[in-house]
Amino acid sequence: MGASDHSAGSRQERLRDAIDRAAHLLPMQGPIGVFVHHNTLHAFEDLPFERAVIEAAQIFGAEPFMSEAAYRSELARGRIHAGDIGAVLDSEPDGVVFPGLSRRSLRRAMITPGVREFDAATVLWRSEQGDLARDFRQAALRALFDACFARTVAHEEEVPEPRPVDEVIHPWLIRLCSVFLDQGIAYWRMPGREQGFYRSVRTLLSQPGGIFPRYLTGLDEEFRRQEYFSFSAADAVLDCLDSQCFREADWPDVLAAELLALPGWAGLIRRLEEDPRLAPHESIPCSLVDFLAVRLTMARAAARMGAGEPGPHESPLKTAERRRLSRTARVYDAARVVSLSAAEITRLSDAEWKAFASEVKACNGLERRRILHLAYERWHEREILRGLAGHCRYRGLLEIEARPAAQVFFCIDEREESIRRALEEVDADVETFSAAGYFGVAVDYKGIDDAHAAAFCPVVVKPEHTVMEQPKAEDAGLLERRRLRRRLLGILMHSSLVSSKTLVRGWLSTSALGLLSAIPLIGHLLAPRRYAQLREWLNKSFLPEPRTELTFMRNTAQSQGAVAGLLVGFAPAEKVERVASVLGPAGLHRRFARIVVVLGHGSTSLNNPHESAHDCGACGGRRGGPNARLFAAMANRPEVRAGLRERGIEIPDDTCFVGGYHDTCSDDVQLYDLESLPETHQADLGRVRESLDRARTLNALERARRFEGPPENISAADALRHVEERSEHLAEPRPEYGHCTNAVCVVGRRALTRGLFLDRRAFLVSYDANQDGDGQSLAQLMAAVVPVCAGISLEYYFSFVDNDRYGCGTKLPHNVTGLVGVMDGHASDLRTGLPWQMVEIHEPVRILFVVETAPDRLMKVVNNNPMLKQLVENRWIRLATIDPVSGAVQVRRDGGFEEFDGSVDRLPVALSSEEWYRGKLEHLPMAWIQAAAGGR
Amino acid sequence: MDLWQSLLLFAVLAPGVVFSAISLGWLLGWIPSERFVSRITGVTFSASVLAIAAIVWRLALTGSPSIALRLGNWFAVGRYEFPLVLLADRLSLPFLGLTVVLSGLVGQFSATYLHRDGGFLRFFLLLHLFAFGSLLAFAAGSFDLLAGGWEIVGITSVLLIAFFQQRAAPVENGLRVFAVYRACDIGLLVGVFAMHHWAGTASFAGGLPHLTETQAVIVCLLLLLAAAGKAAQVPFSGWLPRAMEGPTPSSAIFYGAISIHAGAYLLLRVQPILAQSKLASTLVVAIGAVTAIHGAIVGRASADAKTSLAYASLTQVGAVFVEIGMGWRWIAVAHILGHATVRTLQFLRAPSMLHDYHQMRSATGGELSGVGVHWEELLPERLQLGLYRWALDRGHLDTILDRLVVYPLMRLSRFFAKLDAIGWRGVAGRRGETAISLETSARVGGH
Repeated sequence: MGASDHSAGSRQERLRDAIDRAAHLLPMQGPIGVFVHHNTLHAFEDLPFERAVIEAAQIFGAEPFMSEAAYRSELARGRIHAGDIGAVLDSEPDGVVFPGLSRRSLRRAMITPGVREFDAATVLWRSEQGDLARDFRQAALRALFDACFARTVAHEEEVPEPRPVDEVIHPWLIRLCSVFLDQGIAYWRMPGREQGFYRSVRTLLSQPGGIFPRYLTGLDEEFRRQEYFSFSAADAVLDCLDSQCFREADWPDVLAAELLALPGWAGLIRRLEEDPRLAPHESIPCSLVDFLAVRLTMARAAARMGAGEPGPHESPLKTAERRRLSRTARVYDAARVVSLSAAEITRLSDAEWKAFASEVKACNGLERRRILHLAYERWHEREILRGLAGHCRYRGLLEIEARPAAQVFFCIDEREESIRRALEEVDADVETFSAAGYFGVAVDYKGIDDAHAAAFCPVVVKPEHTVMEQPKAEDAGLLERRRLRRRLLGILMHSSLVSSKTLVRGWLSTSALGLLSAIPLIGHLLAPRRYAQLREWLNKSFLPEPRTELTFMRNTAQSQGAVAGLLVGFAPAEKVERVASVLGPAGLHRRFARIVVVLGHGSTSLNNPHESAHDCGACGGRRGGPNARLFAAMANRPEVRAGLRERGIEIPDDTCFVGGYHDTCSDDVQLYDLESLPETHQADLGRVRESLDRARTLNALERARRFEGPPENISAADALRHVEERSEHLAEPRPEYGHCTNAVCVVGRRALTRGLFLDRRAFLVSYDANQDGDGQSLAQLMAAVVPVCAGISLEYYFSFVDNDRYGCGTKLPHNVTGLVGVMDGHASDLRTGLPWQMVEIHEPVRILFVVETAPDRLMKVVNNNPMLKQLVENRWIRLATIDPVSGAVQVRRDGGFEEFDGSVDRLPVALSSEEWYRGKLEHLPMAWIQAAAGGR
Repeated sequence: MDLWQSLLLFAVLAPGVVFSAISLGWLLGWIPSERFVSRITGVTFSASVLAIAAIVWRLALTGSPSIALRLGNWFAVGRYEFPLVLLADRLSLPFLGLTVVLSGLVGQFSATYLHRDGGFLRFFLLLHLFAFGSLLAFAAGSFDLLAGGWEIVGITSVLLIAFFQQRAAPVENGLRVFAVYRACDIGLLVGVFAMHHWAGTASFAGGLPHLTETQAVIVCLLLLLAAAGKAAQVPFSGWLPRAMEGPTPSSAIFYGAISIHAGAYLLLRVQPILAQSKLASTLVVAIGAVTAIHGAIVGRASADAKTSLAYASLTQVGAVFVEIGMGWRWIAVAHILGHATVRTLQFLRAPSMLHDYHQMRSATGGELSGVGVHWEELLPERLQLGLYRWALDRGHLDTILDRLVVYPLMRLSRFFAKLDAIGWRGVAGRRGETAISLETSARVGGH
């Protein structure tokens, strides 16, 4: 190889292209410590949703929808409506199968009453002893089956290519990947890994004297040969591809198949290749070519030893005869549900029979599930739109004229819906708003306890500013002491962890001090909450807590800091712009309360590798407290208020902003920088604090209804204790349900949803169309909100419909690997997606955006943004509008908007949320909550 | 039977009774609620803890060395008898206490951890059965009764490794562990037979069986085989990481705490005769030392939480073997108690690894200093690579076992399958089904 080969350069380029094309199928998940929700099928977003899920299902061997049985049980309990199935079928092209039978009626019958699924492996048994045998007791059905059987030929079944090579090479490959990517679990780092995966593995495995499993004998020689010719990784890949005589056109498919054998590991290597800074602690030179080179070389050695020889092609359970039987059974069942008789089947002409059989085949299980799924979503859409339209029509949207007692900003997160409602219930004079939880301040932030700065903003945004938390001048000494003691603690913790694993130190420490572990063991397991309180108390008394402030001021003169070329702090104009970007779209331009609270959110849980998936998505999978604190500090600056006044946002001088943090797991609420609040505002603060305190208790109660643990009649205070315990429990696999059940996003004024029980299922984005003349704010909001919400909704969708393939299965056997991900047991692929415990109560529907604006204005915004356009046109999200003036609802179907056709009537009324949800475990329909509507 | 004897009997039998009652109900179609199962688990183990504590209290007050309970013979034929004797002495009590305390804690953990899992009931049944098995093994007054408990521990261990039976990997790994256990348990069974043969009894309630020096060496070696298999000592260590397929709490109690130390308990039991034989005790020290070093090196190169903990366990259990071989019985017991507690906590907290490292890093300002010297870096580069390669394949132990034992055995079985097929052809040929039976037996042989 090398320079002498004239075409090598271009071949390598073509190889790189092929790898790029193959690699786009890999999961997008980075190291698990910072979990960002993505559309699992991001690679298919250029296809319409229904087609994409089916194509992806074939490629990944996954399920595109729920199982047919699941839809059937939803049908049985009324969650799927027969009318919706009809509506879905009516919206699709009809045709004549043969005179007297239309496609529509055939399909309708195949869905309700419905046909059964048959497969070759079980059909014989079913016809002898199962449900078919029962059918055959009726002579007419028996005759029908025979008539179908006579006209059916066995079809060729595609045998999936067996990959016995995987069994041989995976144990090795997985172990190599895990030590290569390790961020600190292994005390001894892989030697030479700074040279990349291929080079280091080659050096390692070509060592003489190693013993290989039988099927990998000769691998060391193969690596030595490659070393001798000083192959690059690409050379090695090409060499392996050539040795199997693949044509260049086939490369992407061949490589994709290789990558998808271990998509988790390959995907992580790809992510770290694209963005090395994702590595949490240690940067490693990753490259997918390297991975492929190692994989192909191993596969080659294994194949040479005969590991790749395929087994017998025809499964004894799926002989030609059985395949013919199962095919017959499918046609027979369809004929049965449309009440065809044996005679009618026999009378069909060959062409008619063919048309019938192929029509039946076309309406296979996948197709039926697709139709059922669309009907399933339609019901949901109708319920939501009916509720929103009814709210507008019968209650009217009242704006509060008087000055509110307080205003509170939350994140748009659907988990904050309940605490907002609870807050409005406990204090009707409080007004709530929501904005994406980074509150417009995209920063690289470093707290006093952090080792490094991290980006606190959506992943698509690159922060340009850096902000640090630093102690107030008089507390600088305290910080020094805190650092010193934390350092001591850290070293103690690390050395005790390491020494418990080594030989000599472990000998001493486990035998002499081992029994001391009984204290945390018993504390954690028998009294989790008390033990957590004890630990916190010890922490507090040992680590002094300095009062701190944020370094966010920048005069234009001092600019670029030393840190990675970021601007240190914000200049006045930038501050004005950040604050306006939140207040402007929310429509909060005047009528400010005396106190405005801004709450970021995050989640704390113990023993949970997926902890970060519960944090704020708009903060890039981090906890949004600093953003809220920073926002409040900016909005309190006089020069910022002056700047805002020029933009038409009038903040009175007696308004104070307070930043805070809401923990969605323990329902703890903290407020920051209260010492700088003037004396005059203490009463306002007291009131809002008390309201927040009651609201979080009610929120805990509402969350507790979903968990099976707490008793039905639990009091609110006990519910709060319950959720606190959950967040501190070592054994709790579902500390909170996270975004589970999310289904809707309402972009509009709070008046549109105030007093509506939305069951923690709706993202709420404050947007006032009346104050957004040019649609600028809407464009800004949609660009920020849609990708985040769609990513969350779709990740939950896919992790739910196929938890094993798209999700990461049950948490119980998970094993943290290299601090970058989890495996099942000691050697599996890296598991990506969400665990079952996080999605188990989800309802897999695409998210429904309801935007308070006119359809043409919305579509102008959508069409101007390619990403939105793709999501909308390919139906990855559902879309509806509600008119800000008339309250008329339009819903997007088949590429255009149509008037919402469902009935709009009054919703059920409950005095309080608690009355509506108390004692219920399941998803609840919308209701009017009298208390939350401010008494109206 | 006085109060203390009945307490002992209660502590040993309680989990067994719970297991039998619930599983019988289950067979008859009763599905107990999660709440009921976790309640009864809590009550059973709390009561057992109290019972064991009372016995310890009693022994400490009276200063008597042990409580024995003879339940009669299972059977007796001539000179041969199978006595059912329970014994709580200074050796077994720490193990009994450890078992009931940790089983109770792990039960408490699992009630939350396995909530809503399809295998909730199965897990708890196995936990009770395991507790019963290990209590029986630790409280047995004779080696034959001990072997009974030992086997129960083995089978529950395998069933919990294969707990997620819908996936292939757990079942395959469970099978592998099962095979190793079976092979090594031959040592225990033959050892017990030998004791009966030579000494007429395998009971140690009134002192160990009397054996001549040669006999003692043979028995020790046989028991050592069993102990080494159960404790994953070299050359059997390869099964330990495979055992990490089960749910986290079962990994904790089996491979962090009880099951992994059962081998050490067996050796502690025979320690007096072991000490008489230079050969046997040297071998115990050698196996322990090699295992400890093996575990330490392989563990250093393991990048996933549970494997690295598994090898950390192995290292300390190796050290315990060394202590036993050297005759430091009480140090070994103390070491086991401390180690089991540390490791249980570490296994249960294994999912926190991410969080812990983040904490430690931020506390120390980003860099974790290597604690002490990385002594592998003192080696010349070639040797480092070779050693790392060796560590990565876990000392080649499984590969060597495959090549030296598994493949030859499979070849042998295929040979027998062929013989079998020829035999069948004689019978089946008359019925004209030769091809089918050939195919089936070849498949059976192939497995």
